[in-house]
Amino acid sequence: MSNSAQLSVSRRAFLASAGATAGFAFAIGVDGLQRVANAGTAASSAKPNIWVSIAASGKIRIIYPATDLGQGSTTALPLMLAEELDANWSDVEVEQLNVDDRRYGNPKFGMVRYTAGSSAVQGYYMPLRLAGAQARSMLISAAAAHWAVPEDRLRTEPSAVVDHETGERLSYGEIAALPELATTRVPDASEALLKPTSDFRLIGADVARIDIPAKSRGAYQYGVDVRVPEMLYATVVRAPVEDETPISVDETGALAIPGVLRTVTLPDGVAVIAETQEAALFGKFALSIEWSETSSSRGNNSDQDLIDYAATAEDLSQDGAVWRETGDAGAAVGGADRQVERTYLSDYAYHAQFEPMGAVASVENDGASAEVWIASQTQSWSLRTVTETLGIDAEQVTLHMMPMGGSFGRRTELTQPYLRDALLTSKAVGRPVKVLWTREDDVKFGAYRPAAAQRMIAGLKAEGGLQGWRHRVAAPSVIAYFNPLRWAQVEPQDIITMRGAENKFYDLGDMRAEHLITDRRARLAPWRGIGAAYTSFAAEAFMDELAEEAGADPVEFRLALLKDNPRGRWLVERVLEMSDWKRARDGTALGLAFAGYGDSMAAGVAEISLDRESGVIAVKNFWTTVDAGVIVSPDNSLAQIEGGVVHGVGSALKERITIVDGEVQQNNFYDYEILRIDETPEIAVDIAQVDAPPTSIGEVSTPVVAPAIANAFFALTGRRLRHMPFTPERVLAALA
Amino acid sequence: MTRLTVNGSAVEIDAPPETPLLIALREHLGLTGSKYGCGAAMCGSCTVHLDGAATYACVTPIGDVEGADVRTIEGLSENGDHPVQLAWIAEQVPQCGYCQSGQIMRAAALLEENPRPSREEIIDAMSSNLCRCGTYVRIVKAVERAASEA
Ligand code: FES
Ligand code: FES
Repeated sequence: MSNSAQLSVSRRAFLASAGATAGFAFAIGVDGLQRVANAGTAASSAKPNIWVSIAASGKIRIIYPATDLGQGSTTALPLMLAEELDANWSDVEVEQLNVDDRRYGNPKFGMVRYTAGSSAVQGYYMPLRLAGAQARSMLISAAAAHWAVPEDRLRTEPSAVVDHETGERLSYGEIAALPELATTRVPDASEALLKPTSDFRLIGADVARIDIPAKSRGAYQYGVDVRVPEMLYATVVRAPVEDETPISVDETGALAIPGVLRTVTLPDGVAVIAETQEAALFGKFALSIEWSETSSSRGNNSDQDLIDYAATAEDLSQDGAVWRETGDAGAAVGGADRQVERTYLSDYAYHAQFEPMGAVASVENDGASAEVWIASQTQSWSLRTVTETLGIDAEQVTLHMMPMGGSFGRRTELTQPYLRDALLTSKAVGRPVKVLWTREDDVKFGAYRPAAAQRMIAGLKAEGGLQGWRHRVAAPSVIAYFNPLRWAQVEPQDIITMRGAENKFYDLGDMRAEHLITDRRARLAPWRGIGAAYTSFAAEAFMDELAEEAGADPVEFRLALLKDNPRGRWLVERVLEMSDWKRARDGTALGLAFAGYGDSMAAGVAEISLDRESGVIAVKNFWTTVDAGVIVSPDNSLAQIEGGVVHGVGSALKERITIVDGEVQQNNFYDYEILRIDETPEIAVDIAQVDAPPTSIGEVSTPVVAPAIANAFFALTGRRLRHMPFTPERVLAALA
Repeated sequence: MTRLTVNGSAVEIDAPPETPLLIALREHLGLTGSKYGCGAAMCGSCTVHLDGAATYACVTPIGDVEGADVRTIEGLSENGDHPVQLAWIAEQVPQCGYCQSGQIMRAAALLEENPRPSREEIIDAMSSNLCRCGTYVRIVKAVERAASEA
């Protein structure tokens, strides 16, 4: 097949998709991030593959297939392609992918358009580098044809092909305008085209994030910032208990407010639609609604539910779904000299992503087509929410994926109620509608990290070594709730609930981690660190208790289990060195933890002090070491790790959702407190320099925080904390 | 009709007096740099300067501030080059960035009042603002940098 045909086909495809998406691109320049029109570069451009196009102007447009929730991958992903293309970074423009085109999917997620699990750099590392290398190779071929010289004497310099024998050079933009390009074969994308990693000049360098200048000017546009002509505003009063429905609505008060147009009854709430945001808000508070009182969720009480989960975890006659098993843990523990058993508890936690849920939808032609602006972690499931809600085909939907003001797993669900609200209200009034949830809506109708009860059981040999490890997690399935389609594929393996319990970086010998799938008693979603946010707490707090039972030093006890994992040992030894572990302290104490997140590992040491009157723990210092393979963006990785520690401290000390008779008790940041700057420890990070493919960064530092604090608490007081968060009441109870 | 000066320009806002200043700025004037985070004076995402003082716009009814001089992130500097903004870029502070307009406005007000704050004073002032992405370590560094370079 002639390659010019291939080229023109792909060029047409590009134009078609540019027309269909009608979105915007981020453009990198001295001025930071700007929006540029989508159609800008299509006219005369080299388009070696679906990922990149090079315009005669020299601008290099790279598709950003993920979505921006603050993790920095708007820089890291295009950077990987630019590296292999040998692009001058300042020539690069980054274009948000606004379609659910699975060719751009993350191989880590079966090509679904899904940004989660800290997996984008890991999943796209090879595809994007291959795309860049393929493009570079094609540009060299075109230049060789133009100069009529053999390809192998040509080299690239940033954004140019150079013939060192003649000294001639062609910029990438000039090549994009060459007539020879039309007949240049697009080479197969093969690993043979890749640079040796020692030649990297972008990967591993501190390239400034492209989004930060605009984020420092208030110019970055998030989902809730979208305003379109003729737009109305909606707020929603939602059922106080899951599954209740509005029985009767007295809208008199709301309609009396100037600007309020009407109400729309939704399956689980009532929307107030108004000409202005303030009228929609005042209208919400003026509504009077009678709700059904038939939902079985009214029986949900988080305190009792956790007691029930603990009973399940502790009832060894119940077998769970095996998450990971090696050998025969039951027999090993049973045959050991001594058995140690402990139960660890953790409460529901709320995302507290800073941008509350919302969306803008413009439903046209009486529901036959729609344009939506949505900040979510998934093109695929946002699009599906539109097609399912309206009963239309994907071709009738124009999607704009907006940056998110944080998410941490919040905006990942298969069916997105905030988007559905915007669609149904817009359809009802025939005008674009912006739906905005208040913070109270988001706290009360959030989807939480599940509450969990974990029974840890281990055997100890007479001389103190480990003989058998059982980790029984009693918690509901998160996947079954937030993505039932996925659950049908993976049941009973729930990575969201169970991650971390596999504990694969220690040599535990005979081990069994199992999931006792309990009744769901709240809305659930992935949360930063997913299962590891609590399974690593249980595993690593227990590890310290085991060491104590064995009469061993907690460090030596762990190092013995890491004897075959030199990278893991390095992390532990390095973090001990950073924290000056052996130094005696006055009034503070240290605790250690080590845990994996997927294929990454981290060790952490917390230094805490305690106000014994109030029961308040203060974390003074947190040292952490991380191994995540090759680091694509070193400074941003540090930022993500620092943020993960802050998140972990808040989760360990404060964050707690409680439910009484089906109603969430918390409302806003005054009763769901996240960590403040004056409670933040000094944080020191060291990242291992290893030559291995990149793994995940964004969540790896969160799981080690809670167990490190619990272990420090034991070092300080001789008492154990086994229920997260370690609120002052629980601390005082432990001290009593 | 409420009259205000916003970023140096006289504006009239056609909204009831109880309308929060934050909504007036964002939805009536299109100045979306100031963010809604809680509506309850708890997070500081909405921080603007009201007659020079850092203020939570979410709990400030426009009727209470008739005639006031309001400055938002959009008006902090001509080209995004206020020393605090430059320090924010140099220290690569923002992650999601949603809280950062408020953080920057808080920091700028602090330095206006106290050009050489101690570390404790920085932490004290900045504790009015929350950041869920956990950028606190860098916020402190950036305020220190802005103070030393201004
Ligand atoms: S939105 Fe004003 S303080 Fe949170
Ligand atoms: S940068 Fe995301 S909330 Fe602060």
